[in-house]
Amino acid sequence: MKKRLYLELENCIGCRSCLAACTQCGGHEERNRNYVYDVNPLVNRQTMPLMCLHCENPACARSCPAQAIQIHETGAVLSALVEKCIGCQNCTIACPYGIPKFDTEQNLMYKCDLCIDRTKDGIPPMCASVCPSNTLQWLTDEEIENKKKQFNLDNGKWVTSMPYLEGETNVKVNLPGILQGITKLY
Amino acid sequence: MQRDKFFKEIENLNHPNEKLIKTHCSYCGMQCGMNLRVNIQTNKIIGVEPRYDWPVTVGKMCPKGVTAYQQTNHKDRLLKPLIREDASLKGTTEGFREASWDEAYDLIAKKFTELQTEYGKDTLSVFSGVSMTNEKCYLTGKFARVAMGTRYIDYNGRFCMSSAAGGFLRSFGVDRGSTLPWTDIHETDCLFIAGSNTAECHPTSMFRIWNVQERGGYIIVVDPRETPIARRADLHLDLQPGTDLALANGIVNQLIELGYIDEEFINNHTDGFEETKELVKEFTPEYTSMLTGIAPEKIIRAAELYGKAPNAVVMFARGVEQQHKGVDNVSGYTNMALVTGKIGRPKSGVATFTGQGNGQGGREHGQKSDLLPGYRKITNPQHVKEVCQVWGITPEEMPQPGVSAYEMFELMEEKTIRGLYLLCSNPAVSAPNQNFVRKALKTLDFMVCSDFYLSESAEFADVVLPAVTWSEDEGTVTNIEGRIIKINKAQEPVGESKPDWQIQVELAERLGRGKQFSHLKSARDVADEFRLATKGGNADYYGATWDKIEKQDGVFWPCKDENDQGTPHMFLDKKFYHPDGKAKICALPYRPPAEEPCEKYPLRLTTGRVVYHYLSGNQTRRIPFLHDMCPEPFVEVHPETAAKYNMEHEERVRLFTRRGEAIYKVKITEAIRKDTVFVPYHFGHEDSINLLTIAALDPISRMPEFKACAAQLEKVEMKKVQ
Ligand code: SF4
Ligand code: SF4
Ligand code: SF4
Ligand code: SF4
Repeated sequence: MKKRLYLELENCIGCRSCLAACTQCGGHEERNRNYVYDVNPLVNRQTMPLMCLHCENPACARSCPAQAIQIHETGAVLSALVEKCIGCQNCTIACPYGIPKFDTEQNLMYKCDLCIDRTKDGIPPMCASVCPSNTLQWLTDEEIENKKKQFNLDNGKWVTSMPYLEGETNVKVNLPGILQGITKLY
Repeated sequence: MQRDKFFKEIENLNHPNEKLIKTHCSYCGMQCGMNLRVNIQTNKIIGVEPRYDWPVTVGKMCPKGVTAYQQTNHKDRLLKPLIREDASLKGTTEGFREASWDEAYDLIAKKFTELQTEYGKDTLSVFSGVSMTNEKCYLTGKFARVAMGTRYIDYNGRFCMSSAAGGFLRSFGVDRGSTLPWTDIHETDCLFIAGSNTAECHPTSMFRIWNVQERGGYIIVVDPRETPIARRADLHLDLQPGTDLALANGIVNQLIELGYIDEEFINNHTDGFEETKELVKEFTPEYTSMLTGIAPEKIIRAAELYGKAPNAVVMFARGVEQQHKGVDNVSGYTNMALVTGKIGRPKSGVATFTGQGNGQGGREHGQKSDLLPGYRKITNPQHVKEVCQVWGITPEEMPQPGVSAYEMFELMEEKTIRGLYLLCSNPAVSAPNQNFVRKALKTLDFMVCSDFYLSESAEFADVVLPAVTWSEDEGTVTNIEGRIIKINKAQEPVGESKPDWQIQVELAERLGRGKQFSHLKSARDVADEFRLATKGGNADYYGATWDKIEKQDGVFWPCKDENDQGTPHMFLDKKFYHPDGKAKICALPYRPPAEEPCEKYPLRLTTGRVVYHYLSGNQTRRIPFLHDMCPEPFVEVHPETAAKYNMEHEERVRLFTRRGEAIYKVKITEAIRKDTVFVPYHFGHEDSINLLTIAALDPISRMPEFKACAAQLEKVEMKKVQ
């Protein structure tokens, strides 16, 4: 059953375990490929992860003059191929969310590959495996549908999707606010 | 067992040439399940893989857990024993030379014997810790009493869990940190969480805690800071540090006033209600507000939300426990559950967030100055007799009770204690009033330290013994829930390092106590003797065999025999452990913190953890990812307070109290009270906030008041800092 990365930004506690775990996926050369931001550092402790959304029509890949960014059959937008990447950094500018990172020493772009060694076999990516708060989850489409219903999201207001994003994405995101529609138990 | 909605069947990724060893994290009481990745050619640990099949944490880990494996083959590991002859170098890393185990053992045996011949048995002391297996904790207690023959043994739980223990013993007659399994937490309707920065200190509880809100339940958080969990809580009670007991009394008062009490439960299963009712009358919302700084309507609302909840759990941690009235705070909050009868059934109860990996098990089996295995008392002749039978000594040989951790430093300073065997702890960072503690350590005639890195405390030692990390030995640990779990060995010890149980057996032989120790040839041998020694005690582990633990995904104590599956929920029969079977509702007069702000020291200083570090930081500060995320301490200050002192974000300032001072970077945040400043305690030497903290001890638990003292801030000239 196909599963997707699903983000519930309301839950993030800023522990950066997702970053630590990203370095631990065998193929990642111990470099992490996502970001966690302090939303309002002098005011409160709100944080949120910024992840590659694995766009269906990825601007990063489109912008690449050397076809170094491949799209896996699962939909994962892979990290640059070492032998093809020419280090032009077009992708870092093209990505609407600033995801691809650049290694100046190697003259090579690297980005989240959705832990392709794991996810191609249905094993959750490292970040979603460890995330202690369930900000990052690995869910079936059915489970994501249920989330929409649970959080009264059918108005599309809280879910990041068209028209709020640049294009359709494989990763699904819920912005903060999911609790607003919840009916209290008592 | 206990596979809930968060549990998913997931195959692990198996890399070629690797095997996975199932175990648990080395750090906090959550004891998250993890697999260590071991290269089958080199037989070395090379990484971590989530353990999806562990029912409590289903693969989740915080960044400490993810990187924990990097401790084992770290470049800073101690590979051989170290000896230092030049005592003038104590307190530094200088002057150590490598030695053989034989030489180190001979020296220790000689010095210990000399000191005891001249000054008596009790001139030696043991200071231990609970970040190690039950087997090691058990044997350390036996080693102190039987091999060293001293009364002076105590442990770092006095800086961690002892107030929770004292409070639970008084309220319930038994000290199991949680009355219910963690797999109940997300199913309750209201969580009342006091003094726990859960998101940073027990992060893998968070998916269950958030789920309470997703289901429409409530989260109430009590904390002087707006921690990540307080930020999203339905209600944040932002109290002044050190005023918990007033709040607890105020809420109990409102529970009574608003009619949320369970009279039948109170009448049949508790004592002390009338007295308590009388005492809390004074704690009206207004009076409580005056003492705590929390708005009266918030106090009423908290009582309503907790009182109305069909099921609710009261939880707390070091924030309420590390006070000189920590035990009263624990019993005070526990009163909430007892007057409303929200205990002794699934999804309702009381729990403390255990700090250290084995904070629960390690405090039950005889490392505490007055305890023996199975939570037996050294002052109870019958208990002593039972343990002596297992140990093969006569009751006359059993030493008297000793003193608490901090008080041992006082005895060192006055030369009553002249020798120290320190293991699994780093008091030169973690004890309060460091200037005094470091002086006491320097005063010692002879000190042995066992650790796997050269900790700040090891810098005071004459002999340093290289111990193993958690991944190079096996044994059991009792997690936050009271569930006994199995730690497995993933690689052979690095260098010449040895597990502490083996060190103790070999040392005991040198000290002429081979008869009581030589039969212990493996961790499993220790485990078998340990289980036997707990048999019949309150914390009875006899039935918790390693096989049963593996088969059942852990065993909750008490577990009395082969057929007993253990006790996930406590008090389901509404029987408490006091002789009359009743729980005690405690009438607790309020007292303010030992040191209140004054003109000279107008701020309240409180201390705590960050998510990236564990305890004294001796382990986590060496891990590159964790170091990069939080390389140095800081002082959190509210912007209005910072403005008053004319201080900028990231400016270096001097923070001082009556006991000491340190320079910290200012971290400005609105997420703290204006009258309070916060500093994390994971850092050593001149960065240690414990240079400033106060050694005001709880009369019952002997817990120091880490969480509240009076302080002042001052700008410093940049020149001075350099
Ligand atoms: S692991 Fe989860 S909670 Fe922690 S920072 Fe990443 S997204 Fe946030
Ligand atoms: S989010 Fe950015 S990096 Fe990721 S696929 Fe889309 S365009 Fe590419
Ligand atoms: S999916 Fe994998 S590669 Fe992408 S951020 Fe998560 S851990 Fe890193
Ligand atoms: S430190 Fe605690 S929460 Fe973090 S991984 Fe280890 S046991 Fe789990």
